[in-house]
Amino acid sequence: MKKRENQNFLKRIMAIRGMGQVVTVAFGLIVLCIVFGILNPTFFSSRNVGNLLRQIAPILLIGIGQSYVLITGNIDLSIGSVVGMSCMISATMMTKGANPWVAVIITYICCIVVGALNGQLVAACKLPPFIATLGTMTIARGIAQIVNNNYNTDSIGSAAEGFKDFFYYGKTLGIYNTIWITIVMWLIFNFILSKTRSGRYVYALGSNIEASRLSGVNIISTTTKAYVVSSICACTVGLVICATSGMGTMDAGNGYEMYAVAASVIGGVSTLGGQGILLGTVIGASIWGVLQNGLQFAGAPVAIRNIVIGIIVVISVLLDVVVRSGKPRRKRIKSEVAQDNEIKA
Amino acid sequence: MQDYIVEIEHLNKSFPGVKALDDVSFNLKPGEVMALLGENGAGKSTLVKILSGVYTKDSGNIKIFGQRVDDLNPKKAQEMGVAIIHQELNLCPHLSVAENIFLGREITHSRILSDKEMNKEAKSILDRLNIDIPPETIVGDLAVSKRQMVEIAKALSINAKILIMDEPTSALTSKEINELFKIIRKLKEEGCGIIYISHRLEELQYIADRVTIMRDGKYITSMNFSDTNMKEIITYMVGREIKEKFPRINVKRGKKILQVNNLNAGRLVRNINFELYEGEIVGVAGLMGAGRTETMRAIFGIDRKDSGEIILDGKPLNINRPQDAIKAGIVLVPEDRKRDGLCTKLSVHDNIALPNLDILCDSAGVVDKRKERTMVEKAVEELMIKLPNYDVNADSLSGGNQQKLIVSKWLARNSRVVLFDEPTRGIDVAAKVEIYNIMNDLKKRGIGVLFVSSEMQEIVGISDRILVMCDGRITGELDYKDASQSLILEYATKFDTKIDDVAIA
Repeated sequence: MKKRENQNFLKRIMAIRGMGQVVTVAFGLIVLCIVFGILNPTFFSSRNVGNLLRQIAPILLIGIGQSYVLITGNIDLSIGSVVGMSCMISATMMTKGANPWVAVIITYICCIVVGALNGQLVAACKLPPFIATLGTMTIARGIAQIVNNNYNTDSIGSAAEGFKDFFYYGKTLGIYNTIWITIVMWLIFNFILSKTRSGRYVYALGSNIEASRLSGVNIISTTTKAYVVSSICACTVGLVICATSGMGTMDAGNGYEMYAVAASVIGGVSTLGGQGILLGTVIGASIWGVLQNGLQFAGAPVAIRNIVIGIIVVISVLLDVVVRSGKPRRKRIKSEVAQDNEIKA
Repeated sequence: MQDYIVEIEHLNKSFPGVKALDDVSFNLKPGEVMALLGENGAGKSTLVKILSGVYTKDSGNIKIFGQRVDDLNPKKAQEMGVAIIHQELNLCPHLSVAENIFLGREITHSRILSDKEMNKEAKSILDRLNIDIPPETIVGDLAVSKRQMVEIAKALSINAKILIMDEPTSALTSKEINELFKIIRKLKEEGCGIIYISHRLEELQYIADRVTIMRDGKYITSMNFSDTNMKEIITYMVGREIKEKFPRINVKRGKKILQVNNLNAGRLVRNINFELYEGEIVGVAGLMGAGRTETMRAIFGIDRKDSGEIILDGKPLNINRPQDAIKAGIVLVPEDRKRDGLCTKLSVHDNIALPNLDILCDSAGVVDKRKERTMVEKAVEELMIKLPNYDVNADSLSGGNQQKLIVSKWLARNSRVVLFDEPTRGIDVAAKVEIYNIMNDLKKRGIGVLFVSSEMQEIVGISDRILVMCDGRITGELDYKDASQSLILEYATKFDTKIDDVAIA
């Protein structure tokens, strides 16, 4: 009886769309952990696990944002710069004596504006997402630099202890706050994506934009929402970094957009749009974090780490495009007519 | 008197340069299948696009369910119960059947999607039509015929009472066509009116109640299907006098230039066999989707061949890419000249030089400017291309001159066979004659001319021999003296009969 129940449960899990790749990479993750654990047993110490989870958290957060945008069939290259912008705006305000929570709110508003701008450029002005977000990436980085006159900020001071605790140093119920924040945000965005109309439209857009348009889906609104989610996530990461270092650094978030793409793609979100689930992004971000942490622990020099990680990014995106472009799930069906048609009954 | 659900009178629609609809009338009764027939360019597509709100009319009266409508758009048309199922299906392949059916109108409970309810509703719609597809199936995993059924289900879920189907059976097997016709009959019983556009005239007898025929943007006639026959329908579709003059010249036929044996390339190029001789123009006729362009592309090496021999002047060729064809002397003037025939942003000069750089460069790859100049001047003079100077961009030339430009670049390298795909499309009457003269010139010089055209008048007017293709095969070969437009159309609609009479109850 129990066996039957287990079998049905497993079937239902596997029937969830996108689970196939998620389960595969989950196995990969387990293997990785075991390998690193063997190389250095302190990998599994509670201290390292805690740190590991805190390292994974920001990657997962920006991964969520990038996944949203990727599923709509677009890309967000400005994520990294928005992280830097968020870090600098909040830090600068706090060093100038502003209330940390006011600073947080203003920072979110600024980042949401960037997200909305991305949405408008891509959906209303029909700019290619690559170009549009490349532009906003540069603008956001410029803002990060100009906010404090091209200097990193001073320490945000003792008035910001609560802020620092909330975003990085503090623990609640024995688990670091950063991890809680990530979990809560993941729950919210996953719910929106899988259980609401807006979320459904995100998938529809990436799957077939014309069919969506003809069915009455608001293309501009859906695209903008995805980009705003992305910048909200990036903003949060910027605040975490600010709390971690206790100051604002203009370089914060540099290169994060590609880490976000890697985490998403490894987890099964396709750069071609229309598929992938956020559970996969969790695994993708975890693999990323474990790789970083494990390689560091194994004593690999930074250069080797970068090369290994870079190779994995390229391979996963390559596999994504190669495997998926060949699949029958194309929008054009003309060639399918040739395959499917039998000449005689 | 049964009320019409669609009444159209005096409908006019023009696009830049062409009158697509000229004082057209049309009507549709509830519970009937109205076949809408006409050659390519007759105006069928424009008519139904206006009815479904995709295009706006210039003038005319449209009444849907007795209500006059003047400002139709896709959403309004949908609300009034009009649904169109295009040949190219509009579904999201990553989403399930139910999700596609409800796209844009999802059922939610306090903002949360109720997939269970939508699956149930979808299932009941599918059951109503006897479509056996689980609503959770991902559309991308379905065969084309099943996707078509999902589109029909989607149209019905929005309570469409006027269904427009554009070439619904072109992608279906006979079994699937039977299923589709069963569904259509059921819809008729429920009072839906169906506008059925198809070139497959043989199938109409199983499904059409009435038929409306259009030609050259005009309404010709409509009648009960049972009151007419295939011959009469074809005559109405085609019957016009040849108004344009076609400069036919007589040249003695020479030796064989090209032999194509058993050419196969996918579903649209099946067992193609033909020969091409010096001193003749061979026209390739057929309807859209017959495989004519695909055959040209397979010969020229753009598309991969499954099998087949191409023999030029007695020597078998190995053509895998266009470069191989060009080197051997077989060249193509493509259908979409702006996209495939020219580099529109490059100058006339560069366009002519481009495929001939191998002749113009020395061993180091440096272009001999003087040789290039001579080639360009000669090419322009030979075909009398009208231009202010050689450095203007190719896209500044008129359609006819662009076409000449494409031909001239091939002539510069002494090609042996020139394949033309729809050479006079979008070109005015005067320029068309110039193109015919160019083809005649090639014919005189002993260069092989094979040309694809959807304009039957010009095929009959200028070809010496005519090959007719249908659904990937050559279904007829005629000498121009024996050819008539209705005969060509008969061959062009000779589809493999998919429906066996026994199956239709």
